[in-house]
Amino acid sequence: MSIAKEFTKGLWEIIPPFRLVLGLCPTLAVTTSAENGMGMGLATTFVLVCSNLLVSLLRKIIPSKVRIAAYVVIIASFVVIVELMMQAYTFPLYQALGIFIPLIVVNCIILGRAEAFAGKNGPVASIADGLGVGLGFTISLAVLGAFREILGSGTLWGQGLFWEGFEPFTFMVRAPGAFVALGLFLAAINLISAKLEDRKRRAQS
Amino acid sequence: MRDILKMLVVLTAICAVSGFLLALVHDVTREPIEYSRLKFVKEPAVKAVLKGYQNDPIKDRLSILVGKDKKGKPVNLIVFPAKKDGKTFAVAFESSAAGYHGDIGVMLGVDLASKKLTGVSIVSHTETPGLGARITEPNFTNSFKDKPMDKELAVGDINALSGATLSTKGVVAAINNAQATLNKYRDKMVQ
Repeated sequence: MSIAKEFTKGLWEIIPPFRLVLGLCPTLAVTTSAENGMGMGLATTFVLVCSNLLVSLLRKIIPSKVRIAAYVVIIASFVVIVELMMQAYTFPLYQALGIFIPLIVVNCIILGRAEAFAGKNGPVASIADGLGVGLGFTISLAVLGAFREILGSGTLWGQGLFWEGFEPFTFMVRAPGAFVALGLFLAAINLISAKLEDRKRRAQS
Repeated sequence: MRDILKMLVVLTAICAVSGFLLALVHDVTREPIEYSRLKFVKEPAVKAVLKGYQNDPIKDRLSILVGKDKKGKPVNLIVFPAKKDGKTFAVAFESSAAGYHGDIGVMLGVDLASKKLTGVSIVSHTETPGLGARITEPNFTNSFKDKPMDKELAVGDINALSGATLSTKGVVAAINNAQATLNKYRDKMVQ
């Protein structure tokens, strides 16, 4: 596969968390607003790209028996770097995301990409893969966050959208709303893919 | 044997590099982290008690060594100076005293020339909700404004809360503690 293909597959073919249903914990917890979702996505992307690059560079040096331990050390280091940077320069976002920043360590997407892709491919392809999957994750979280924010608080990016007296559907920014929103998105994505496949098959026959 | 050795060496090397890197990042971000913590946690309280300054009190903060804790670590008092035309005309700092339930932390601003309180804001407390917790209400905190800081404050001087005598006394005690601090470290605060 070409480098461009490695990048674009993360944006649709295996877009997390809708296709690659991994990393659901932060997905459900932080998408209460578009901004939080985007911040979380970008932090994850940074860690993913850096860990993919390092894992790919070290893939021939790391003995396969201790590869998971080595990956976890690499990922954890980058997560701590992100955490310190966020505390230093974007404190309100750090407060909003709270415990979910350190929990990027156990985000399955990152370990999953290290194990499934970066451990077997070269550094350039691994960066493309990390960027693609990371951006896909960021877009998903931002869209999911925007959807919940519009319905749940009647705002988008902190800006009021509706007329005065609009009663926001607060259920959507609570935890159950996260499951409902995720379910709706999963259903929509599956429906679109089914339609696309159907059209492809009809075009062939 | 060779395998085990290789594993050991590789893992140790990775951990060592990562440890070194983290120490480096920690060092670089320590200052900005301290600044943004104060900025977002303390600044609202500082803004509530100081008025009319032209500087950034968080950036110009002073740390004054006021003693040692039980473990022998130094305890610093952080002072936020309010400056106009480069001169400190008022300071804000925190003080605390026991209320009805646990310590009450108070941020207070003092005008240095007139020695009067410019404002009081409760930054931390664990008082009873609905009773003692009313110490955070403006009705109560505003009554401290312009009270002199060169003689002891009594409960009768301010708008005491009925049903929350101990909480009221706690805040007054915190202000009186602050008077002692102010008298002791005044010279260092205006530097």
